[in-house]
Amino acid sequence: MSLFKIENLIYYYPDREKPALQEINLVIEEGEFILVAGGSGSGKSSLARVLAGLLPDFYGGRFGGKVYFKDRDMRKIDRRRLAREVGMIFQDPEKQLVMTGVEAEIAFGLENLGLPPKEMFRRVAEVISFLGLTNLRQEFTANLSGGEKQKLALAAVLAMQPQVLICDEPTSQLDPVAGEDFLNLVKRLNEEMGFTIVLIEQRLERCFHLADRVLLMEGGRIVQDGSPEQVARWAGKKEIPFIPPVARFFSLLGHAFIPVTVKEGRKYLKLSLEAGFASGSAKLALQEKEKHSAGSPKVREEEQDEEMLPGAELAVNREEPPLVEVKNLWFSYPDHKEVLQDISFQIKAGEFVVILGENGAGKSTLLKIMTGLLRPGRGKVFLSGHDIGKNNDRRATRLVAYLSQNPNDYLFQDTVEDELLFTLKNFDLGDDGIVDELLEMLHIDCYRRTNPRDLSSGERLRVALAAVLVTRPKLILLDEPTRGIDYRLKDELGVFLRGQVKKGASVVLVTHDVEFAAENASRVIMMFAGRIVSDGKKDEILERSIFYSTQIGKLWRGFGGGILTVNDALEWIRPLLQPKQVVRAGALE
Amino acid sequence: MLDKLFYQEKGLFLQSLHPLPALAYLGTLLVLALVFNHPLYLAGLLLVIGLTIWAAEGLETWESYLKIGLAMMALVMIINPLMIRAGKTIIWYGPNVPVFGRLTISLEALYYGIAMSVRLLDIISIFCLYNLIVHPDKVLNLLSRFAGKSVLVISIATRMFPIMARELENIRCVQQMRGVDFNKRSLKEKVKKCSSLINILVLSSLENSLEIAEAMQARAFGSGPRSCYRRSLWRPRDALCLSVSAGALGAGIWGLLHGFGAYAYYPQLDYLLGGTGTVAVLFIVLFNLSVPAILNWGWQHCPYLRSKI
Repeated sequence: MSLFKIENLIYYYPDREKPALQEINLVIEEGEFILVAGGSGSGKSSLARVLAGLLPDFYGGRFGGKVYFKDRDMRKIDRRRLAREVGMIFQDPEKQLVMTGVEAEIAFGLENLGLPPKEMFRRVAEVISFLGLTNLRQEFTANLSGGEKQKLALAAVLAMQPQVLICDEPTSQLDPVAGEDFLNLVKRLNEEMGFTIVLIEQRLERCFHLADRVLLMEGGRIVQDGSPEQVARWAGKKEIPFIPPVARFFSLLGHAFIPVTVKEGRKYLKLSLEAGFASGSAKLALQEKEKHSAGSPKVREEEQDEEMLPGAELAVNREEPPLVEVKNLWFSYPDHKEVLQDISFQIKAGEFVVILGENGAGKSTLLKIMTGLLRPGRGKVFLSGHDIGKNNDRRATRLVAYLSQNPNDYLFQDTVEDELLFTLKNFDLGDDGIVDELLEMLHIDCYRRTNPRDLSSGERLRVALAAVLVTRPKLILLDEPTRGIDYRLKDELGVFLRGQVKKGASVVLVTHDVEFAAENASRVIMMFAGRIVSDGKKDEILERSIFYSTQIGKLWRGFGGGILTVNDALEWIRPLLQPKQVVRAGALE
Repeated sequence: MLDKLFYQEKGLFLQSLHPLPALAYLGTLLVLALVFNHPLYLAGLLLVIGLTIWAAEGLETWESYLKIGLAMMALVMIINPLMIRAGKTIIWYGPNVPVFGRLTISLEALYYGIAMSVRLLDIISIFCLYNLIVHPDKVLNLLSRFAGKSVLVISIATRMFPIMARELENIRCVQQMRGVDFNKRSLKEKVKKCSSLINILVLSSLENSLEIAEAMQARAFGSGPRSCYRRSLWRPRDALCLSVSAGALGAGIWGLLHGFGAYAYYPQLDYLLGGTGTVAVLFIVLFNLSVPAILNWGWQHCPYLRSKI
C-alpha cells in the first residue's frame, strides 16, 4: 500500500486559465525522503498543498484526477484525521506562528485536535526535549531568531505526531547555519524516526544528497523523477540549472557517475586528476598550476561576451576618487547594542561588492547607514565626497537606490508602470524613456498595466528594483535580494546587476548566498559581530574561507587555486580534456 | 527599547504565581486605588506597589512608566488647583482671565491635585506590575475557557502588533528612499503620505493573513471542538496570595463603610489622622498587600519557606 498515490491530477487556481498542476501521476512510499526541485511557478508549492490536503479545500479552484492517501480518496478523509497524519511547514516562520508564547504555540495544533490535557502535556514535553527547546519554553515567539522560529514551527507540527512532513522551502528565510541545522533535523526525522519527508527547496547544494528521490517540476508537470544521481545526469544533459553545482560540473563533463556531494565529488575529482582526466597530462598540469596558483583562472576574453563576465569590474578606475567612503563608522541602537564598530572602507564607481556574514553581524544596518536612513553614531559616510549624515537632501537620496528584504514594501500603485512613475514624480523627474528601458531590461514590460500585487514573488522583486532604479542612481544597495528565488531568476538578477556595474554604477549587496557572490561580485567584504574581518577581491576572500565558500570551491580545495564556480572549474580543466569533452564543456559558454 | 515595558521571563517568584491569584492581587490594588480617597491610603498603596515592583526586579521598568506618569501628574497638579474653586483656604490670587474670571489657588485644591496625582501613579504602577509579573499567554489561557475564539483573536493581534510596527517602519524607510518626503509640506500632504504607508501595510497584512489562515488550517484549526492547554500549577503561594488579596479588599471595603479611607478635601481639609481606626485599617490593608513581596523575600533567602510555598 502506497502512502500517496496521485492519478492524472490537474488543478487550476480560481480565476486562472493556466493550470498550476497538470498530468501529475505520482506514488510516494512510506519512509521516503523526496526532494521537489524546479523554478518559481513550476508547481512545487501547489503539489505540496495537494499532499497536505490544502488544495482545493483552502484555495478553491478547479480540480481533476484522484489523490489517495493510504488508498483512501484524500477529499473524503476527515480534515482532523488528515492533520494528524500530514504536517506542513511553510516558507516564512513569521506567517505560521499564531500564539505569543513558545509552549502555547506547540500546543495550538493539539488543542485543535481536541486532545485531552494529559496527552497534550506529554506531547509538548516530548517535542520540547527532542528539539532542545527547553530554554526557550517560556520565551515569547517574537523574541526568537528566524532559525528558532522555524524550529518552533517544526515542533508545533511534530507534536501532532504526523506520519508525513511536507516542508515548503523551510530554509529560504534562514541564514545558512540555521538552514543547515533545520535540514539536518529533517534528515534525522526521516532516518531515525521513519517520517516520510517531502521537501521543496531552492538551494539544492544543501539538500540534494539528503533525498532518496528527486522530482523535477516545470510548467506544473513532473518532468523527471528518480534518484538524485539520475536526475542530476538528466538535468545536466538538458542544461536545466536545478541541480547542485558539483553535480552540474560533473554532468557537463559527461561523466557516467555524477557525484552529488562535495565528499563524493572530491574523491572522484582526485581520481580523475590522477588519471589525467583520460588525457594523462592532468597531474603534470596540476603540479604546474599549484606552482603558479596565484590569482584566479583567467577567462579567455575573446570567447566571452564582456557583459557576461563574472565578477566584472570593467568600469573601475583606480585613480578616480571613491564613490562611497566609510570612515571609522560606529553605530549603536537605543538598546545600547553596538552593531557597528570602527568600519572603514571605500567603494569606487563600477565595483560590485558583496557583504557576507552571519545574522546580526551588522550588514543590514551598514546598508541603511549608507542610504542615509540611519545616522552614524561616530564616524562619517561620504557619497561622492558629500557627508551623507549632514547632507541628507533629496539629491543624495536620488543617487542611491535601496532595495530592502521585502519587495512588498514598495508596491501599492494600481499598475507596474505607476510604481516607476511614482518614484520619478517624487523626485520631480520626467520620463526620458527610462521606464520603458527598465521594464524591458527586467523582462516585466508585459506586466506594465498589471497590478503589482497580482505578480509572483520573483516578478515583484523586479518591479521593486525597477521602481528604485528609475532615478538612474550611482549606488545600488540591495539587502538579500536572492532570498527565496530560484537559480534562473538569480542568474538573471546577476546579469542585470553586472550590466548596471558596467554602466558605471556601484552595487553593494548583502547576502548569505555565497554562490551568488562568487558568480557576480568583484569584491567581498566579510563581517562578524559588527566588524569587518576581511575585505578584498572575491577570489582571495572566498578561496581562503572554508565555510563561506562555494560548493565548487570546497570541491577544488587543495586541487587548484581561485576556483569558485562551475565556469572557473571548467576553464581550469579545459587543457586536460579530450576533444569530445571540450565540446560538451563548451556548451556552457 | 520598548521591550522592557512588556513582560519578560526572569524566573521570579512573583512570575510563578497562578494567573488567578496574580490577577486577584492586581485587581485588589486597582479597586482600592480607585475607591480610597485618603491621601495616606493612596500613598501607602504606592509604597506597597513600589515594594512589589522591587521584588519583581522591575525598578528600571517602573522608571520608564513613571516618566510617563510624572508628566501627567504635573499636568493634574497644575490644572486642578487652577480650575477648582471649591477650597476655602486661598493661598494665591492670580490675574483676571477672560471666561474664567480671577484665577485663585486654594490649599484644598492643591492637596486634592496632589492626592489625585498619587492615585494616577498608583494606577500606572499597577499596570507596570501587571506587565512585570503576568505572562499574557497565562491570562489568555485562563480566559479561553469562557471565550476561546476571542482569546485567539487577541493572541494573534498581540503577536502581530510588533511585527506590523516593524513593517511600518520598513515601509517608511523604503518610501523615503523613493523620494517620499514625510517631514516637509502641509498637514494635508503629510496625511496623504502617511495614508500611503498604511495602504501598503494593509495590502501586505491582508496577504499575510491568508498565509496565516492557511497555516492554521494545516494545523487542524476549525476541524471540530477544541480542547484547552493549561499548564498553570496551583501552589500554596497561590492560596496565600489569593487570601491576602481577599483580606486586603475585605478590610478596605469594611474601612470605607465605617468611614476609614475616605477623606474630605473641600471645602476645608479633613484631619489627616482621624483616629486609630484609620491607622489600623491602613496597616491591615498594607500588610496584606505586602505579603507577596515578603514571600518573595522568603523564597529567595529561606530555603525552608521556599520548599513549603
